[in-house]
Amino acid sequence: MPAAAGTMLAPAGPILLSFIALAGTPAQSKVPPPALPRLAPETFPAASREAISRQYKEALARPNDGAAVGSLGRLLQAWEQWDAAHAAYVRAHALAPAVLDWPYLDAIVLQRLVRQREAVDALRQALSINADYLPAKLRLAEVLLEVGDLQDSRKLFEPLVSVTATEPAALVGLGRIAAAEGRHEDAVRAFERAVGLFPELAAAYYGLARSYRALGRTADAERAVSRHAQYGARWPRLDDPILASVATLREDARATLQRGIALGEAGDVPGAIKAHTDALARDPSLVQAHANLVGLYGRAQDWAAAEEQYRAAIASGFNNADMHYDYAVVLGLQGKWDAAEAAYRKALEVNPLHVQSRNNLGQLLERRRDFDGAISEYRQAVEAQPTFRLARFNLGRMHLVKGDARQAISEFEALRQPIDAETPRYLFALSTALVRAGNVTDGRKAGAEAQNLAAQFGQTELARAIAAELAKLK
Amino acid sequence: MSDRILPALRRAQGRPELSRGTAEAGRRTIGLFAGLLGVATLLVLPPAVRVAGPPFIESAAATGLTFTHDTGASGQYYMAEQMGAGAALFDFDNDGDLDVFLVQGGALGGSSKPGTTSRLFRNDLAIGPEGRRTLKFTDVTDRAGVAWRGYGMGVAVADYDNDGDSDLFLTSFGPEAMFRNNGDGTFTDVTATAGVSDPFWSTSASFFDYDRDGDLDLFVANYLDFTVADNKTCYDSLGARDYCGPRAYRPVPDRLYRNEGNGRFTDVTEAAGISRADGAGLGVVAGDYNRDGWLDLFVANDATPNQLWMNQRNGRFADEGVLSGTAFNAAGNPEGSMGIASGDPDADGDEDLFITNIIGETFVLYENDGRATFEDARARWGVAQPTAAFTGFGTDWIDYDNDGWLDLFITNGAVNLIESQRGQPLPFRMKNLLFHNTLGLPAVAAKREGGRLTNVSAEAGPAFTMEEIGRGASFGDIDNDGDTDIVVTNNGGPVRLLINQAAAGAHWLQVRLEQQPGNRQGIGAMVAVERVGKPTLWRRVKTDGSYASASDSRIQAGLGESAAVTAVVVHWPDGRQERWTGIQADRLVTLRRGTGQMLPSAGDPK
Repeated sequence: MPAAAGTMLAPAGPILLSFIALAGTPAQSKVPPPALPRLAPETFPAASREAISRQYKEALARPNDGAAVGSLGRLLQAWEQWDAAHAAYVRAHALAPAVLDWPYLDAIVLQRLVRQREAVDALRQALSINADYLPAKLRLAEVLLEVGDLQDSRKLFEPLVSVTATEPAALVGLGRIAAAEGRHEDAVRAFERAVGLFPELAAAYYGLARSYRALGRTADAERAVSRHAQYGARWPRLDDPILASVATLREDARATLQRGIALGEAGDVPGAIKAHTDALARDPSLVQAHANLVGLYGRAQDWAAAEEQYRAAIASGFNNADMHYDYAVVLGLQGKWDAAEAAYRKALEVNPLHVQSRNNLGQLLERRRDFDGAISEYRQAVEAQPTFRLARFNLGRMHLVKGDARQAISEFEALRQPIDAETPRYLFALSTALVRAGNVTDGRKAGAEAQNLAAQFGQTELARAIAAELAKLK
Repeated sequence: MSDRILPALRRAQGRPELSRGTAEAGRRTIGLFAGLLGVATLLVLPPAVRVAGPPFIESAAATGLTFTHDTGASGQYYMAEQMGAGAALFDFDNDGDLDVFLVQGGALGGSSKPGTTSRLFRNDLAIGPEGRRTLKFTDVTDRAGVAWRGYGMGVAVADYDNDGDSDLFLTSFGPEAMFRNNGDGTFTDVTATAGVSDPFWSTSASFFDYDRDGDLDLFVANYLDFTVADNKTCYDSLGARDYCGPRAYRPVPDRLYRNEGNGRFTDVTEAAGISRADGAGLGVVAGDYNRDGWLDLFVANDATPNQLWMNQRNGRFADEGVLSGTAFNAAGNPEGSMGIASGDPDADGDEDLFITNIIGETFVLYENDGRATFEDARARWGVAQPTAAFTGFGTDWIDYDNDGWLDLFITNGAVNLIESQRGQPLPFRMKNLLFHNTLGLPAVAAKREGGRLTNVSAEAGPAFTMEEIGRGASFGDIDNDGDTDIVVTNNGGPVRLLINQAAAGAHWLQVRLEQQPGNRQGIGAMVAVERVGKPTLWRRVKTDGSYASASDSRIQAGLGESAAVTAVVVHWPDGRQERWTGIQADRLVTLRRGTGQMLPSAGDPK
């Protein structure tokens, strides 16, 4: 429910959320719309001050214009000013009750404020305006699940299974409901269908793991846990133009930089480079952009540009381990081994726990046959991050090179779990170490295990290579 | 006359007085007296008269507990500046009352200012000639030899060398420290010989006997690979500089050290399987979550999956965080996860877990089904909505009103700027929270629509209207009047001492365990207080949990209106069970192993 006009909300600060009752109640409404939030944008940091000031002035100039007020809400949401955004949306909705955007965006803001019941009400208002807006339907189903209204949630999820865009998410929702009701067989069916449609759906693997465990299917549960760990919070894409309109509002340097980082993580290197250079054009003092561009230009194999960005960051006084690491990788890709080694050592000077630098430095030392030095670096990487499997594998290889099969076996044994696409070669290495240690029987077993696993993961060449080695043992 | 009878007389005249004396009071010899009595030692206190007023009175300054934490804030937004430090309540001088150890921060990357070291305050609780109780603390840090200058984070307490007094382990942004209690009011830094230090940023720690060999091993939670030189630049939502969150850095591995019984520990992290999973560790607690008689470990990891290390009973642990349901929220996402309260709030005999998170996530209660499968039950228990606006740290289950049902205390303080406080100094301030457990109330009296825990903070007095940056919380009966008091640390702020006034009039029982030759305080034992017509009260003997803090190892069991206790059964850490009858309420009882009736062995898991 919107706050009554004139109500003082909690306390003071640069953003004052005391409400001002403004004149001009829409003729058709008996209750005056809630007041516009009072802001003090002159107190905001420079990055946000101008953008918010401008929109706020427009809203103040046209306080009864739902579009102006709603636009302020959108901008406040883009800048994560949740309480103020909520106040603006409530007023916008009261002024323009036929517009879907305001109650829908308000619901999203209310979810961020963990005011779930109010979010449910706002979503219902949105759907009363447009019953077909899929993102709102899905969101309502999910919020009802969060607040424990399983029946109402189910009624919404069920028809969404028939819509391609929402089918995986709806199946996850139905799976969670079934699990909450103790119907784990039904839950498993729903989750399995979901991952069949979208194999990277981590939430479904989590649900599967829990339901498999409830059913006593321990091995299946552990496999589901491994798959869950592989993927981040990935969901199938559902077009949501209303929410997208908020995301595009931020044109400041930092938001542009964040977009660049996201593009880089998604594999769009040219897009990421452009976003980063745009960010720098907006704010030349954004040194992090220089640092990120080192790696991005490296991925684009533009060595000169990478070098230029590195120099620019250093000249600005930036001294970050990740940046030195990226630069070292760029140098290594060019075969400049000595310079790469110096850059890795620079990274480690800044952060001795930078495990990727330890591992890569180990590989450089290995390259010039300094095996003891390589062992030291790999060992330090494993000590700082025991779950860094590649470093542990490298450590095991070096022990094998140095003739210490027993130590190599110890490292390779630790790589048996979790089972993923890297495990076949780790098992192959274990097999080799066991044979070298004179334990041919166990070596053969490990080799067979490696071969089977390689085949399961479609690594046919590796499987063939392992088979060839096993044949020699016969 | 025992000092514990006196509060009843005092309270009949009004509120207990807490005064700061200038001369040291005479030491109490309750401990020695207790030892002379033999089998079970009784400190008798009849039920006191219930007093009107807030349930807790803040009394730090009034009692001489004067300490301000130094974050070393430099304007560089070093992440360690936001994490605060903990406190310990323990009886370092074995005089029967709880002393206070407060962990100090300092300048990062440089030496601390003179005087800003961690501090030890001796409790000089005294009974005057008219029976008036006086609570007074005296700073004995230098005399005790614990003026430690590390950038401290947390403290763990236990008698690791089994010589009858409590020792200290200190975590830090940097190498840790182990201080052995010499038994004469002084400590010795034995870090080098103990072998329990590494360069990682450590936070919370737990002493527990994981291999049931009679001595206390040590688990240390480590946090992130942040270094001062590699400090990253982060911003708040409006573009001003702010502290980075945990995702800006990588987690570093935790450590498990096995106590070899000779003053030394061996790093068994890899051998025990603890290295198989990593996370940004902030809180740790030991408990027996599947009730098989072997202690497991729960680690709260910041923005990374929590871990539930299930003891495999062969020296190894397996992480069942994900499968148990405690790694993530119901949607499968990791949460902030800082402080931990492990206990039995629904009195069904198993240990549930309450974890504090960051603002916008709500805090979570994982309800145990008795077999280490947990359900995210925050909504049903009523802790979701009331905690949405808070970032919580130190916490524990305490029966603050001694009605027999475990209530919940949480200290809160933000780690990132609070929008409504922008432009103010220290814009991270929040109030503390107190939840009352309504499970024991008749349905008509309990506010069922709010869930099983009712937020009573608004009625809890001035101590709960202060907005500060809460971090550590340590729990114990500081004034030995039969109820649970609280020490709260604030990041960059003063320590707070919350003296409980709510429990007077309700019956209670405190239990202290003694056994020989090892784990002399029985850390990890489970104590069951059996009553007529009421649920058995299960309480674990522990000092860990909360955030970066250590609490009183004595068991506190509120009994409500009925003082009838049919029996007390101790499930010792080695699996043996022992039963005592004829226990009278409203006193501290020391149960010495071998003086009760031994029960058949616990044997196979349930």
